[in-house]
Amino acid sequence: MAFPSHKPTSRSFEAGDYAIKTYKAQNGAETRILYGDRRTNMKLSLSYANITDTQADDFIAHYDEVKGSFQTFDLDANAKSGWEGTSTALDATAQGNKYRYEGPPQITQVRPGTSTVTINLIGVL
Amino acid sequence: MAKVYTGRDGVMQVGGSTLAKVVSFSVQSNLETLETTTLGDNIRSYSPGILGYAGSATLLYYKEDDGSINTSTLLNKLVKTGTAGVSSSDTVELTFRWVDGTDNNDIKMTAYVTSANIGAATADLARAEISFIGTGALSAASV
Repeated sequence: MAFPSHKPTSRSFEAGDYAIKTYKAQNGAETRILYGDRRTNMKLSLSYANITDTQADDFIAHYDEVKGSFQTFDLDANAKSGWEGTSTALDATAQGNKYRYEGPPQITQVRPGTSTVTINLIGVL
Repeated sequence: MAKVYTGRDGVMQVGGSTLAKVVSFSVQSNLETLETTTLGDNIRSYSPGILGYAGSATLLYYKEDDGSINTSTLLNKLVKTGTAGVSSSDTVELTFRWVDGTDNNDIKMTAYVTSANIGAATADLARAEISFIGTGALSAASV
């Protein structure tokens, strides 16, 4: 099962960072060593407000499908709905990463049959 | 026959008994809406949420010939002695009616009184103002 194709109502993205080790000498001088040429650990938070419970449980089904935070997966294009910048900017794949769940989907039921779902993803190499 | 209703046609009842000296009442129904607009949309969209009822009424503070006060049933839901406060049984059955001869258009609800004001002012009639909020479904809605 692919990642659900519902359009999010809000989205936040943290671009992550490159693999850098920082050493600090006693005099305060900082030395940084770059261990990789690909940015990683990008975080994508998707919120789906007031969707039907049927749509909400699609995320649970997908979470089970990829064994929770174990497997990586590709995002559906609708996860980037409304983004008018470079199409790959929010992708993990542009940097050789793939997204996996950072934590379980959080579902808040707001009325019978209607829920709000929050998904937190992290890009990993 | 066609008819324009006026304040003369309005009746407010508590527990099936018509209240005397009602100056005004208003009943509101409010629909909570859940926004379903998604990223990429340019027009807002909504899903219906919870429906509720509320309103207010103003009554002259009036003593009947038998000594009873017209506002007691409503005011005593909040203005009372004791430490028990308000319990779930402190509801009132309110009917708001628009009369056309024998033809009645009613809104009936079970409600909690949420505020009760009573005062006196120089050169003015004493009035009681109450606000209420409906609990559960309407039992009549022939408007």
